[in-house]
Amino acid sequence: MESIIFAMFNGVLYGMLLFLLASGLTLIFSMMGVLNFAHASFFMLGAYFAYQISEGLNFWAALFVAPVIVGLVGAGIERWGLRPVHRYGHVAELLFTFGVAYVIEELVQMIWGRVPVPYEIPELMSGALFTWQGFDYSIYRVFMLVVSVAIFVALFALLTYTRIGLIIRAAVSDPVHVATLGHDIPRIFMWTFGFGCALAGVAGVVGGNVLGTEPAMAIQLGPIVFVVIVIGGLGSLGGALAAALLIGIITRLAIFYDYGLGSLLLSLGLEIDTTGLLRDFTRITTAQVAPVLPYLMLVLMLIFKPRGLFGTRDV
Amino acid sequence: MAVLKWVRTLGITLPIVLAAFSARGADTVKLGLIEPFSGPIAAVGRDTLEIFEFFANEVNQRGGVLGGRHIEIVPLDNAMNAEKTTQQLRKVIDDEIRFVSQGVGSNHALNIIKFLMRHNRRNPDQAILYLNHSAVTTSFTNELCSFWHFRFDANVDMKVAALATQIGRDPSARKLYMLNQNYAYGQAFQAAAQRLLAERAPEAELVGDELVVPFGKVLDFTPYIAKIKASGADTVLTGNWGPDLVRFVKAAAEANLDVAFYTIYAGIPSSVAGIGAKDGIATQLKQVTEMHENDALYDQQPADLLDTYDRWRQQTGKSIYSERMRWTIEYFAAALDKAGSDDPALVAAAMEGMAMEGPAGPMVMRAADHQIIFPMVISTMTEDVGRPFIYDGEDYGVAFATDGWIMSDAIELPTTCEMKRQ
Amino acid sequence: MLIGRLTPWIAGAAALIALPHVFSSGFALTLMSQIGLLIVFALAYNMLLGQGGMLSFGHAVYFGLAGYFTVHYLNFIYEEQVPYIPVTLIPLFGGLVGLFFGILIGYVSTRRAGTTFAMISLGFGEMVTALTLVLVAIFNGEDGIQADRVLGEELFGITYGPNIEVYYLIAGWCLVCTLAMFLLTRTPFGRISNAVRDNPERVEFIGYSSQRIRWLAFSLSSFFAGIAGALHAVNIEHVGFEQVSVIQSGLVLFMVYIGGTATFVGPIIGATLLYFLQSTLTGVTEAWVLYLGVLFVGVIMFFPGGLAGLIAMHQPIWRVRARLLAPLLIPYSRFLAALIVCVLGCIGLIEMLYFRSSRLSTETELVIYGVESDPFSAGPWFIFVAAAAIGAFAVRKTYPSAVSAWNTAIADARARPPG
Repeated sequence: MESIIFAMFNGVLYGMLLFLLASGLTLIFSMMGVLNFAHASFFMLGAYFAYQISEGLNFWAALFVAPVIVGLVGAGIERWGLRPVHRYGHVAELLFTFGVAYVIEELVQMIWGRVPVPYEIPELMSGALFTWQGFDYSIYRVFMLVVSVAIFVALFALLTYTRIGLIIRAAVSDPVHVATLGHDIPRIFMWTFGFGCALAGVAGVVGGNVLGTEPAMAIQLGPIVFVVIVIGGLGSLGGALAAALLIGIITRLAIFYDYGLGSLLLSLGLEIDTTGLLRDFTRITTAQVAPVLPYLMLVLMLIFKPRGLFGTRDV
Repeated sequence: MAVLKWVRTLGITLPIVLAAFSARGADTVKLGLIEPFSGPIAAVGRDTLEIFEFFANEVNQRGGVLGGRHIEIVPLDNAMNAEKTTQQLRKVIDDEIRFVSQGVGSNHALNIIKFLMRHNRRNPDQAILYLNHSAVTTSFTNELCSFWHFRFDANVDMKVAALATQIGRDPSARKLYMLNQNYAYGQAFQAAAQRLLAERAPEAELVGDELVVPFGKVLDFTPYIAKIKASGADTVLTGNWGPDLVRFVKAAAEANLDVAFYTIYAGIPSSVAGIGAKDGIATQLKQVTEMHENDALYDQQPADLLDTYDRWRQQTGKSIYSERMRWTIEYFAAALDKAGSDDPALVAAAMEGMAMEGPAGPMVMRAADHQIIFPMVISTMTEDVGRPFIYDGEDYGVAFATDGWIMSDAIELPTTCEMKRQ
Repeated sequence: MLIGRLTPWIAGAAALIALPHVFSSGFALTLMSQIGLLIVFALAYNMLLGQGGMLSFGHAVYFGLAGYFTVHYLNFIYEEQVPYIPVTLIPLFGGLVGLFFGILIGYVSTRRAGTTFAMISLGFGEMVTALTLVLVAIFNGEDGIQADRVLGEELFGITYGPNIEVYYLIAGWCLVCTLAMFLLTRTPFGRISNAVRDNPERVEFIGYSSQRIRWLAFSLSSFFAGIAGALHAVNIEHVGFEQVSVIQSGLVLFMVYIGGTATFVGPIIGATLLYFLQSTLTGVTEAWVLYLGVLFVGVIMFFPGGLAGLIAMHQPIWRVRARLLAPLLIPYSRFLAALIVCVLGCIGLIEMLYFRSSRLSTETELVIYGVESDPFSAGPWFIFVAAAAIGAFAVRKTYPSAVSAWNTAIADARARPPG
């Protein structure tokens, strides 16, 4: 039992990290209609910048400076790259970000090399905060949880209670009318894109030292983030949170309750095939396919509830 | 390849490019090296190239082979893609290169073995010999064995045998948790470990046996850490490599999991860099290799070899990691001289049964299956003592210290190979 | 009239027959064989992207799965467990495998268009790639599956042992598939598929189900992708997880987009050019993925019609009179010269950066454009930065005149009656 609680804690943590990425992505998508394929690349940039800054200064400087730089890079890419492509439609924009993901990955390798960089958890937070039922809960992981929850709350408050949030929400639902009210829509787009990228950058800063900072980190995390926003419902912040947590927890339960089709068939008194081409299906267990489960959830979701958990519009 | 032949390439026609690749000196013995030199794991391929070029140069400086001819390493990029490997093999045939080496990725090794079986049968006068420096799939020297393939690394079963023997000696290893990547290699590791642990470490109990989706798909290993903790294991045995090893070890260290890690590939530079000193030392990370720099036997090596090692470290800023790649070159040179010819069939025949002095006693290229047999050493990552682990001039703050040697007789396993000699 | 229409096809067939006599090395034969089957794959992909408006990040699934089934079938023929099919016809089997999975997966994924379709395709791509590693009995994990394509003599004593015979097999199938896909664009289905891309709502109004049309297009595209996958399996005699992976899907996307999605020949140009560059540049520079990415981004930003689109832009001019192209020559060459200077400068900078970050100790010198350039001294940096900057400046300066020259030419062409 205690080990399940420990795993759930980490599941929630992983879910919150996914949410940090997904929130920026879904914000950009709902406002601009652009699915930013390079979103995980900004996550990677966040981690690399944080590594570089913490080498020179310290982790705390990195925590605040790296996301800002990532955000500026994102805003620059929107201004000089994405905006000219806008007139060719959403598919061209998606393709553009796909190309940008390639270029960023190569540039990272060109600058920092192909070997992982030693981006470490700050010394101050490397110990255990408390030990509960035999499991150490590290300071850093609790810190990660606090940061991500704080960002969720701040984001929610920003969108709900501030004037900027009001404009953003309005621009999401009806950009033309907002433009006629005198707001500079391209400018709002640029800063939204930059802000979304900065959120991914924060995830990179706090997650890079736990997951490992290496050139392949973007391509390994990217597809899962898409799954999160589709399952949550495009454009829904609450949906993204729910889906991220769901994925974080379900993949852990799959590892814990390690069931397989084979044992199910055996318990039903059926004979199972252990030699033929289909033997894998009876041998395989949920733990072995845990990382594939989000994609399975995606497919099921699209068949049965294409709008996602909390989606208000058809995707 | 940083030597850019841009001038040639910009004249963008096929014959010119093809000519550019084939125009080489005639009096060298060429060894094609097929590895990933671009793409995500290019670092591994490029490190290999550096070692091959360095030690081929050593042989050439000594006076070369066959009375003064030089060994020339011809890099051939497969970008870690099977079709590129085949394509490069066809280029090898075009360019009349008669020897190839490869080791990164057993799928590519399998491709080369099968390709050469067909090619050498159909064109016996253009036969090509394959020197496998690192691909470990056991079947290459069992049911898939071929006269045209030689392996200079221990296979999975041998490496697991070494780990199992050491676990049997280790009184603190009583409860084992095994975790492997769910693909051909990881499953081979698992099967070998289940068999060999029962034989060699009967007192150790297997309290967990897990397979995970391979190649970086698992981002967070904490659920496994929780399971390991719940099982009460004191030792983890894993064949994982790359990000699957790095994340696993880091997650364990962060949760203060009090276990020792027995692995094969902890010492690969990118893994050492990824894991870092603190986490590696905290998890008592162990590796099985052919040699390491802090072993007592290191200083007993011949003076000229020590001298070579020093020059290697100075020139490259890297620790000595892959002795097997040096052996590949040394065996190649010795077999060329013994055969007195660069005919691949004669070189292969000369290589069979050839013995050499290894770091901890004699090693031999077993004639029955073309598998090299040599003593192996288990070492643990410790603090920065003796010769530190360096890569690209950077000191990673760790070193490896010997736990114990496993002699050849404990590693040598029977083979099912039925070699067809032409 | 008919002869005129057949000319490009006859010329294409003649070129396919003649090519191996010009380039006869094993490397060239493999390269041309690969290009041949990639043309089929790229054209199949463009049925989705260009003609149907569906952006897929997972089309290699059908290519790769067909490859796996083909290899299994070849091995089963060897073991005499299945009915014999001559190797000549095995691509058809691969096509049917592609069609089967296309119908199955297409049913789910073509319910949506646009961005959502792209995401679903990515999800399926990731899932199938992971499964090929996990389901070892069928896919044999990382090692993949080997096959021997030589099953015995077929018509005229062909065994498919020599590469040249496989080349002609691929060339033949390439020609047949290209023709079939071309004719398909001329059918009512092809037209309605375009209509679904441009305005699904109106298609619904005239009584078609746009989802059905997408499903049909998807299935047919998977069929041709399957043929390409089977040809790949026969050519390489090996199938591995790389063939179903998202990287392979991305590569075909790059080929089709850089070649041009709006014209039928675009994917052919893209597949030929990119695969040729990839095969030759990998041996020359380790930065080729970066160049590929930059080229792709550049095409999206500046030439969304791709290379074929650039050529097609000038079609109305030379249709009227080829001589009208003459005034374009000078502004175009000025612009091109500026572009080349800029690109050469950037390449020099990138190569020096790569050399500094990942140089091997055995590589002691960096030779760029035949000149040894020391990336640790200021000289080469100065030259390349200057080249890049001057080039970029000149590109900005010469671009407007190139555009206005084209505008003038096209206006001229429109003013004259066709003759």
